[in-house]
Amino acid sequence: MSSGEKQLPVFVIDDDESVRDSLAFMLEEHDFNVTTFADGQSFLDEVDVQQAGCIILDSRMPHLRGQQVHQILNQANSPLAVIYLTGHGDVPMAVDALQAGAVNFFQKPVKGDELARAILQGQARSATNLDMAAAKSAYESLTPREKDILRLIIEGKRNIRIADELCIAMRTVEVHRANLLKKFSAKTVAELAYIYGKLA
Amino acid sequence: MKKALWLQLWILCLVAFASLAQGAVSEQADLQGMQEQKAVQPEAKQKVEVGVLAIRGHLYAEQRWQPTIDWLNQQISDVHFVLHPLNLDEMSEAVKFQTMDFILTNPGQAVRLGRQYALSWMATLTSRAPQNSNYGIGSALVVRANSSYQTLQDVPGLPVAAVSEKAFGGYLTLRYQIVEMGLDPNDFFADVRYLGFPIDANLYQLRDGNVEAAVVPACLLEQMQNEGLLQQGDFRVLNQQPNEHSSCAVSTPLYPNWSFAKTERGASLLAKKIAQVLLAMPPDHPAVIAAGASGWTSPVSLLSIDKLYQALDLHPLQQPWWSEALRWLRSHQEWAWALFIFVIVLNAYHFWLEYRFSKSKQALEQTSLRLKEKSEQLEHSQRVAIVGEIGTSLAHELNQPLAAIRNYSEGGLLRLAKKRPHEDIVPVLEKIQGQVERADAIIQRLRTLIRKRSVYKAPCDLQVLIDDTIELLHFRMQKQNISIVTSIEGNVRPVFVDAVGVQQVLVNVISNAIDACTLFQEKYHSSGYQGKIALHSDYQVNQLSIRVLDNGTGLQQENPTQAFVSSKEEGLGLGLAICRDVMEMHGGEFLISSTAPHGCLVELVFPYQN
Repeated sequence: MSSGEKQLPVFVIDDDESVRDSLAFMLEEHDFNVTTFADGQSFLDEVDVQQAGCIILDSRMPHLRGQQVHQILNQANSPLAVIYLTGHGDVPMAVDALQAGAVNFFQKPVKGDELARAILQGQARSATNLDMAAAKSAYESLTPREKDILRLIIEGKRNIRIADELCIAMRTVEVHRANLLKKFSAKTVAELAYIYGKLA
Repeated sequence: MKKALWLQLWILCLVAFASLAQGAVSEQADLQGMQEQKAVQPEAKQKVEVGVLAIRGHLYAEQRWQPTIDWLNQQISDVHFVLHPLNLDEMSEAVKFQTMDFILTNPGQAVRLGRQYALSWMATLTSRAPQNSNYGIGSALVVRANSSYQTLQDVPGLPVAAVSEKAFGGYLTLRYQIVEMGLDPNDFFADVRYLGFPIDANLYQLRDGNVEAAVVPACLLEQMQNEGLLQQGDFRVLNQQPNEHSSCAVSTPLYPNWSFAKTERGASLLAKKIAQVLLAMPPDHPAVIAAGASGWTSPVSLLSIDKLYQALDLHPLQQPWWSEALRWLRSHQEWAWALFIFVIVLNAYHFWLEYRFSKSKQALEQTSLRLKEKSEQLEHSQRVAIVGEIGTSLAHELNQPLAAIRNYSEGGLLRLAKKRPHEDIVPVLEKIQGQVERADAIIQRLRTLIRKRSVYKAPCDLQVLIDDTIELLHFRMQKQNISIVTSIEGNVRPVFVDAVGVQQVLVNVISNAIDACTLFQEKYHSSGYQGKIALHSDYQVNQLSIRVLDNGTGLQQENPTQAFVSSKEEGLGLGLAICRDVMEMHGGEFLISSTAPHGCLVELVFPYQN
């Protein structure tokens, strides 16, 4: 993993101050960009959930429980990756958490390097999630004509064939292709095909 | 001619002889009549049997009454009276079987017989001095003159001589007097000896000191003294009654004298003659004197004697209670049936109740058994819940500082790995210390929360405690079909212990033994297996050693007294840890080991002084 991903934010949400503080201390020593919150609500209030990053979530907290925070994030289609770190977890709780899309489920006390590995994993997944979300919205913004051209490009057809099939000018196809690359933030057709494949 | 002369001479001689002979015979008959005036031609006269009560023996009876019989024979010449001395029973027989024509008896028997058989009273004897009264029969309670007894109240319970329980003068009149005086006759006659006839024996026994008092008919004492049989002044009569009828000392009122009666066999005409003859007897006649009387009068009322018998529950006409009841039942049949049905219904109701009772008792027992089982389960689950709750809270509380410490220390290690300066490490260690303090505070809080129960030690009989504990677990052992035997060695003595704690230990140990036996049975399904527990108390010189041996599965793990480690599905792993703690508190020992081929031996050692 690149060090660039480590710059993605890590949010620690735990009502116990010493846990919060010590966790932040340890993760900072692992060179993570850590922010701590004492409860779920203040996290939801202060942080843009439509960004890539990782949350370390305690399950038993006053007001909003960890699971509820997770649910709100899922409803908002947040790309943030969720890691549970709980003092009293059991197997059903873990299963529920993983089914709801959590990256991992840890019991306190947790080994630092295991947690760090899980955070990296979560960050990667979160970045992907974000990319996917962008691709999805890009695809949804396409006109029917653009969608047709995109499908034919992915099929590997050249511009001239596409112009023939669709009975439009070659130049028009070229403009659409440039627009598609721009909309999907792709530099090459191969990259475009990769993103399209993930969408499908 | 000569022949005629001879014939004349012969006839003359014959006549002369005949006349001579005639004269001799009449002479002889005259002589006989002169000599035996009474007994002349006895076979020709009808015999009349007269029974007389012989209270002082046959000889005395003949002396007393023969003159009277002679008088009768003399006055009534066409029959011959014969005297038969009889005792009480013989007299009853005689009247019953009609072997006598007439009887002469005391008033007591007169009433007894007279109310059962047809007796016609003809005359009653009158006493001698001073009043010629008809009343002459009573009892005298005689004691020796030199004895200390003064009243009837002094005598109860002492050896007393009496004639017989049917004797009138010799027993019953005094008994009646005692009842009248409000004393308990059974107490009074607690040591009575019936000596029977002749009644003289009673006074002889008294004289010889074999009894302390004697009940005799009135005047017997005076008679015997007059006859020289007893010394004057040697005896006293207790409870002397003033009476104008008799010169004799008596302890009771006087009752009518002896009476002459006709039985069914006796002829009425003869009875009339006899009565006339008896009434006509002059008072100074030797026969009257011999009878100890002053003559005869018309029969007197025997009512007072009837009353006496009634009071003593001895009256011959008195019917037993059951015949009274039977008669009542016969005349009140509807009530009898009602009563009968009532009794039947009552009985049926009783049995029905009993049946219901036994049914509900069974149900009750079942319920109580179930209740016991449930309460045991509840207790266990409560224990599990409490331990679970404490454990969970404790785990969570301690987890937080532990997690923080781990985080800090790992961060610190990372800093060290990055060769960060010394100063950067110090705050990490300080933070770790802070978390250690937090954990310590949690443990302190828990300690104060579950402060241990205060221990109260006192001298205690451990055998009683053992019996109580076995009783507590009896239900479980019965359910699992496990037997327990206890034994004792040495001298049982009280031991200075905390009874509650020790009972907890005993419950745990025996309960473990039961579980082990049950487990063995479940594991091996051995049909011939019988779970056995032996509890042996050995009172040694310095210590008491209680050994509990079972033939269950034996130990399942290496360190059985470690807390929170259990081989049982629902166990908490606290039982033996508690046992060990309690025994340590008593300065004793808790030893546990497996035995061969299977089973477990637990030894509890209590030093007498700790």
